[in-house]
Amino acid sequence: MSPPAAPLSGVRIADFTIHAAGPFGTQLLGQLGAECIKIESKTRLDAFRKPHAVYGRMSAATFDQVSVNKLSVRLNLKAPEAVALAKRLVSISDVAAESFRAGVMSRLGLGFEDLRAVKRDIILLSLSSCGQSGPDSSFAGYAPLFGAWGGLGWMTGYADGPPVEMRHVMDHSAGLHAAVATIAALHQRRRTGKAQHVDLAAREVASAMIGEALVQASAGITPVRTGNGDLVMAPHGVYPTREPDRWLTLAVRGDREWRALACELGGPQAASDPRFATADARRRHREALDATIAGWLSSCDAGATAERLQRAGVCAHVSWSMQDIAGDPHLRARGATVEVSAPGIPPRLAVGAPVRFSKGLGVGIRRLTPALGQDEDYVFGELLGLSSAQRADLQRREVIF
Amino acid sequence: MSCEDGVREGEPPLAGCRVVECSRGVAAAYAGRLLAAMGATVVMLEPPAGSPLRTAPPLLGEPGESALFAYLAPGKRSVVCDPLCAEGQRVLARQLEVADILIDDTPLRERAARKLDQHEVGRRFPALVHVSVLPFGSSGPKADWDGEEVNLMHAGGEGFLLPNGLSHELFPDRPPLKVYGHFAEYQAGATAALAALCAWWALPQVGGQYVDVSVQDAVLSVGAFALQRLGDGSLEHRSTRRFRYGGVFEARGGFVELLTLEDRQWAALVELLERPSWALDESLRDPLERSRRGDEINHHIREWMSRHDVEAIVERAQRLGVPAAKYRTPAEVIHGEHERSRGLFAPLILATGERVEALTAPFQFRCSPLEPLREVPKLGEMMPEATS
Repeated sequence: MSPPAAPLSGVRIADFTIHAAGPFGTQLLGQLGAECIKIESKTRLDAFRKPHAVYGRMSAATFDQVSVNKLSVRLNLKAPEAVALAKRLVSISDVAAESFRAGVMSRLGLGFEDLRAVKRDIILLSLSSCGQSGPDSSFAGYAPLFGAWGGLGWMTGYADGPPVEMRHVMDHSAGLHAAVATIAALHQRRRTGKAQHVDLAAREVASAMIGEALVQASAGITPVRTGNGDLVMAPHGVYPTREPDRWLTLAVRGDREWRALACELGGPQAASDPRFATADARRRHREALDATIAGWLSSCDAGATAERLQRAGVCAHVSWSMQDIAGDPHLRARGATVEVSAPGIPPRLAVGAPVRFSKGLGVGIRRLTPALGQDEDYVFGELLGLSSAQRADLQRREVIF
Repeated sequence: MSCEDGVREGEPPLAGCRVVECSRGVAAAYAGRLLAAMGATVVMLEPPAGSPLRTAPPLLGEPGESALFAYLAPGKRSVVCDPLCAEGQRVLARQLEVADILIDDTPLRERAARKLDQHEVGRRFPALVHVSVLPFGSSGPKADWDGEEVNLMHAGGEGFLLPNGLSHELFPDRPPLKVYGHFAEYQAGATAALAALCAWWALPQVGGQYVDVSVQDAVLSVGAFALQRLGDGSLEHRSTRRFRYGGVFEARGGFVELLTLEDRQWAALVELLERPSWALDESLRDPLERSRRGDEINHHIREWMSRHDVEAIVERAQRLGVPAAKYRTPAEVIHGEHERSRGLFAPLILATGERVEALTAPFQFRCSPLEPLREVPKLGEMMPEATS
């Protein structure tokens, strides 16, 4: 057997995805070893290459998580010759990935059938708001809209408040699910030698996140918005501590854990309060229970209390800001956070591959955000065999642009 | 759809893949669920009293079956297995001998007694992909920490950042709020499914291996943008992590989500709002200026939305090219015309015989459509095969 390598080494992706959801999915595959070639153009820069004012970022990003490990080439897909080059790139790739609205790739001449004509066993991943079929398939959207359409936004919120908008985690969850389906399609190709078109609708991923509520709805039950509460566990929620805006999360699954928590925070007598003796009783007296715990915690340091409760067998964790996460030795030890740097990018933390493989040398971040067109020598020169003169001509005519 | 030359119908992506799922929690069960939806044979090993997920809320009535289990278990097989006894060990070994993938969320301290620890499994089943799914993973200083969804949502960073936008404006003093249900555990389940399939992909090169997935890592992974912002010098907080304009708006009959990122979308929004004089201000053509004056813009949009019907707003918005959506209830989703047209839901028979519907899968394979999973397994239904 060969020495261990990243599991997807040898898999090549022609990556047409833009914004967050699609690029996150291909970024994951890149961290797991795939060679991911990002096809982009000056004519329509991806979000990270320009200011993003509505998010409060007034200039281009120097580091972009979802483009790590990616190679960059320029192709102005409005030019037929660029489309032909894109097809040549697909013909030597295993996967093509795109995140345009349904129908855009076909209009560009890069639809599934076009790609299959140049690569008979291509896996095409199409990630979109609403999918490749259905009455809403032309609808444009972003993460908060996926959450709104899919029901996750409605189910999230305070019971007496409005629905809550989902942010990048929704985009990235769609990209993660797309990555799962893409690898399943690769297995199918390995077994059958056939092409596949994976159709992922981000709003359907949002629906998958409330799958149990949808089962209830199908049975005529109206699911309840639980906020920070739980239908069974009590205490359960997010509690204030000594410091302002420093919250402790608690989830108590049974009487043993309750007694352990009460002993730690309120002393042995507290554990015998009959109002809280059983799970039923704790649920009935939920308000008094929460007030009691808030009283106990009002003089506690959140971090030290979480450690103490964990030692006593109680599920507890501080509500962490990104500053806490950046300073966490556990996440660093696991490689979930990694320090990265490059010319022009001072050392900073990035998110590594969310998986540790016992035989996974080479998994993780190998390089950072590529400059636009940075890898054309390799991709256009070595892989596609274009001469310097040909490339210069294509650049002059704004095909490579 | 044109896939004449594609794979044969009835031959799902993971046909032939055998998975053993040893799950107490949602993350491992969701990993198995995704693999089962794509055609893998997934065998749940349940304790004699049944998986705790069989009674996990929300329930379909009081008493009633678990809607959560009904979502997570369709299409799986059920074998009763207590690995602490000799018979259970025989059942376990028999399943693992023919499995490609093991997904296990047994806490670390309980693994050795069950012969489910990394090295024992690796020694006995060298061609097995062994995926561990734990709240904080199986390595690192906090590997023995325990956590439920609410803890993990906050350990991974996203919990602190919610709610943002309108909810936070209305209730600025309330504690941060988790996403509904099992979002964090679902991310970990999908990550575990991805990891399992990647390790299985590499099997011909490297053989079986051990794969360590953590719910905390998975939440951080999908929340990576906030760490990126920290690197840019900005510590995100739910009070400030909001769109400068756009967001959640209350309209007549419901709530609208509206977000315009591109200039053309802004221009279309001005049309949607019927070209009010404030929006025609020349300086608002500049996206940076719009962001600076976001509060003022939102004030105007709120006033306009409150006078209009939600369905009419979103219909006209999408026609004009303004990204806008109604916040739909679960009932609206399950009866949605778009979802019906795409076959997102399929009938499901519960272990009691009750009929409901469940989401088939959050992805489609257009050359070989997935077969819906039609039944939730009764406890131990596979025992005759597993012990014969």
